[in-house]
Amino acid sequence: MNILVFAKRVAATQEEELRIRDEGAAVDLSKVPFKINDWDNYSVEEAVRIVEKTGGTVTAISIGDAESDEVLRRAIAMGARDGFLVSSGEIFHDPGVRSRLIQNFIRKENIPFDVIFTGVQSEDDQFGCVGGILGACLGLPYSSMVIGIDAVEKDHMIIRRELEGGLQERVKIAVPCVLSIQSGINEPRYVSIMGIRKASKVERKVFQAADYAAPASAGIEVVRWTYPEKKGGATMLTGELDTVCGQLLGILKEKGVFQ
Amino acid sequence: MSYALIIAEVRRGVFEERNLDSAGIAALLGKEAVMLIPDGAYEAGNIAETVVKVKVAEEVFLNPLNLKNILGQVFAARGNPDLIVFTHSSFGMESAAYTAGAFGFPVVTDVSGYDKEKGVFLKSYYSDKIFGEFKASGGPVVISVRSGSFKEFAVDKAAKAEEMEGAAPVETRTFVEYVEEEKADVDITKADFLLSVGRGIGSKEEIPAYEDLAGRLKAVLSGSRPVIDKMWLPKPRQVGTSGKTVRPKVYLAMGISGAFQHIAGMKDSECIIAVNKDTEAPIFQYAHFGIIADIHKVRDKLKEIVG
Repeated sequence: MNILVFAKRVAATQEEELRIRDEGAAVDLSKVPFKINDWDNYSVEEAVRIVEKTGGTVTAISIGDAESDEVLRRAIAMGARDGFLVSSGEIFHDPGVRSRLIQNFIRKENIPFDVIFTGVQSEDDQFGCVGGILGACLGLPYSSMVIGIDAVEKDHMIIRRELEGGLQERVKIAVPCVLSIQSGINEPRYVSIMGIRKASKVERKVFQAADYAAPASAGIEVVRWTYPEKKGGATMLTGELDTVCGQLLGILKEKGVFQ
Repeated sequence: MSYALIIAEVRRGVFEERNLDSAGIAALLGKEAVMLIPDGAYEAGNIAETVVKVKVAEEVFLNPLNLKNILGQVFAARGNPDLIVFTHSSFGMESAAYTAGAFGFPVVTDVSGYDKEKGVFLKSYYSDKIFGEFKASGGPVVISVRSGSFKEFAVDKAAKAEEMEGAAPVETRTFVEYVEEEKADVDITKADFLLSVGRGIGSKEEIPAYEDLAGRLKAVLSGSRPVIDKMWLPKPRQVGTSGKTVRPKVYLAMGISGAFQHIAGMKDSECIIAVNKDTEAPIFQYAHFGIIADIHKVRDKLKEIVG
């Protein structure tokens, strides 16, 4: 089975203070570290595991600037055979633009595949749309929230979709197809610095995104960035650690959950 | 004619409450609402001008490939709507994107606000630290709406009932069965006091120390999605939309930044106390009490005091 897996390099903003600049025109990410999108890490791992069992190849593809080569090296270290960078300095906020770019790239370069994996969403924009739009554009069956792959056959797969409240749905889907992989589907392997260094010796092909741009009559654009509206907010407990912890225990006692 | 098309979310015979948010945004935009719902005895309420029952089974309706064909029929009969509304859920996320791709429509997901004057949809970025104002053009806009964001705008409507035949189900993607979650050793929804840990704990090696603290405080240990994904705690201990919805007397969140899906699973707790070193963590907006500190230090100090 030949699997294309999309991997995005994203800003790791979990513990970062983010600032908007130029009166809402941009978000300042200049001091924020970058890494592989969490969901894509699970996707790469799942693809590599399938290929280890069934044979075939994993091709990792990233759309982004030259720095995105980092996620390709990582994917190769995990077991991908090839890494393709579709190079663009532009940030595509519209998932429709991103998906159609991918569609054109796959068609124009005639890239063979049985299955395409994307992450359910990316940590930065949380759109969760690229896989679904791509599946529809390619005229292929699609499923998102894939939390388990139970069987891989030549012409179909049996997958599990994550629903709400711990419930899952088992689905039969024809191959070729597009699947968006949910985090937690597997335990991604550890990637060592040595492994990445070794992967650097594998040539990564670079393509120019401009060659695959798709003019669209419909789309979305972001007109301004804003901070979240402040709600009531918490009463902050402040002071020395002793004091704060004492106050915390006081609240627990007051609420009757701790004596 | 100008209308908003609401795709109802139903699951195992239940009309999901978050459909109210879909109805709410249609009302907020001043659109006449047409709601699609599959065959079945659902308590849909009077939240749309027209409720169209599509005569297909629930599992057929909840499949984006079938939905595409059903929508094709609806557009042919009624013309294109201005707005197509999904819930932002496992079903809605999947089908909103597929619908947008199939018809070449613009899409904005996880919409949590709408600015009437500017005509822009508000959407979360970077786990709610920043929001983007989005403008859509060139066709009916497909949106998925965040649960709880618009239900206050939903109003009683006529709910004229109509029926339509659905297109034959596709064979390239079919429902097999539902799979229930593994049985848990403890039921976190029954606990009065939850100590919940998040990504901020750093590694699996820290879990025993938090288990120890939970034991001393007589709390039950639970976790947010990243902790479950990394398999540091078992799935039945997950708080959030894809895990459990909890309402304990006290919810003590340590190292949880507060992704929306997590908040949705614990916001109705009687008292929420959040400990996090990130002053900007969204959880502080929902907590009653907050502590900005290194969670491991707070953990160790609490143990020291409690003994």
